[in-house]
Amino acid sequence: MPETPALDVRGLTVRYGDVTAVHDLTLAVPRGETVALLGANGAGKSSVVNAALGLFRPAAGTVRLLGREPVAALEAGGVGAMLQHGGLPSEARVGEVLALVRGRYEDPWPLADLAATAGIGGLLDRSVDALSGGQRQRVLLALALAGAPPLLLLDEPTSAMDVEGRQAFWATMRDLAGRGHTVVFATHHLDEADAVADRVVVVAGGRVVADGTAAAIKARIGGRTVRFRCPGPRDGLSGLPGVTGTSGGGDWVELATSDAEATLRALLAGRTALPDLEVRGASLEQAFLHLTSTADGVLR
Amino acid sequence: MTDLFLFQLRRVGRNKQYLFFTVLLPALFTIFFTQVIGGQAPAGEFQDLAGAVLVSMMAYGAIGAALGATIRIAFDRSSGWLRQLRVTPVPAGSVFAVDVAVGALLVLPSLVVVALVGRFVNGVEFGLGTWVALVGSLWVGSLVFVALGVAVGLALDAQAAGAAIGILGTVLAALGGLWFPVEMFPGGMVALARALPSYWFAELGRDVAAGTFTGTPVLVLAGYGVVFAAAALVVARRRPLHAVAG
Repeated sequence: MPETPALDVRGLTVRYGDVTAVHDLTLAVPRGETVALLGANGAGKSSVVNAALGLFRPAAGTVRLLGREPVAALEAGGVGAMLQHGGLPSEARVGEVLALVRGRYEDPWPLADLAATAGIGGLLDRSVDALSGGQRQRVLLALALAGAPPLLLLDEPTSAMDVEGRQAFWATMRDLAGRGHTVVFATHHLDEADAVADRVVVVAGGRVVADGTAAAIKARIGGRTVRFRCPGPRDGLSGLPGVTGTSGGGDWVELATSDAEATLRALLAGRTALPDLEVRGASLEQAFLHLTSTADGVLR
Repeated sequence: MTDLFLFQLRRVGRNKQYLFFTVLLPALFTIFFTQVIGGQAPAGEFQDLAGAVLVSMMAYGAIGAALGATIRIAFDRSSGWLRQLRVTPVPAGSVFAVDVAVGALLVLPSLVVVALVGRFVNGVEFGLGTWVALVGSLWVGSLVFVALGVAVGLALDAQAAGAAIGILGTVLAALGGLWFPVEMFPGGMVALARALPSYWFAELGRDVAAGTFTGTPVLVLAGYGVVFAAAALVVARRRPLHAVAG
């Protein structure tokens, strides 16, 4: 018999009034895997995470965390979570909040090590009201890790962190994954997904549009955009090496390419001038548009 | 649940404003009203007046303490702390129960301090049994305002809730005849006072102090308690703790 998945979402549909934020989404994460839910703002990532944590009742579908209903799994101490709109209590000290949550787990993460890992060693006596945004985020991370739970669900955990904070955070996540914890996190940074996750699940419009290894997804959506002014004829542009799509308004032409170098060589060989030339990383939004317009979009 | 209870108690205890408005202010009012009104009274009536002021101020302090401790739920919701607790092993039901228990417990210091001031500063003389019955009955009766505070705290956002603590306490006290006795009110205001739970709360105290137990205050307060508790449950169902954004 196969092991129960750490996260098992089936046919999840989330509606807010007339708006359907998540459409019939199915996702299974085996134990020990590190999975990034990658998507632009409003793609439905938070809805998936919040529904998975049992914060509201979805319009349809079921969620199991470690084989249990979300609330039961949380109360049993199997799950740690960071919410996008989570908060800390006023008129309390960091150490008191941490002690309250740690005390609720059977086998909590040792305090000194937890504080060091989350980077809040010097903050335990500090009043919560006196914390900066980045410090709050680190305290919230410490709360998620307090029980060293087998499953971590993190909704854009690094959004309020600076570059150093991010790197330390992801080092911690890789370390946890190495020790067999399952980590599922939502992000809108492809680099972040690539740096940490074994597997990247791309969500757009409340649906899974791609699901594969970080490398496969990166190759798929990590393309470049070549942009230049082109008042003259545009014949043959879409046939150049690497070009996967053309667009642009007015004088401008934009070429989406999977191989910027080959495309540029071909352009330079065929034209005398490329005024105002720019080469940029394709934005995630462009990448998603590309993915959603592809037939079924699912790799693997 | 002890850990969460102590945690919440410590938080409210750190709030200097709360301690000032629920303990110190009613105690100061007790002295002030007794000296101002009692000073003009004939010698034989001082005891009655001081006793009446004492009961009113105990009721005032208890209402403020019950509302102040429970309306804070709105702050915890706005800050996201309630949502955060939902994703820890702390069961949602115990969070709610603890807030009610903390609200009920915090009424006691206010009642006891005002009673002590009444006894030792103003010289109000009741038998020991009457003192105990007075504090006890007002303590139980204050659950009505704990229920009201929970309902209001769940219904309002942080800013409105902050204002509501002061406004609701003041309105209930002033119109319910806790600052000035209802006998001084014009006719229409008397009818309004008698429609308020605060009037019946003080009436309960006056009954106990006088040893003339009538039952009407208990029935009215029980009715209000049921209504407020039901309102709190309805609001709790309608206003989930999570944000729907994202």
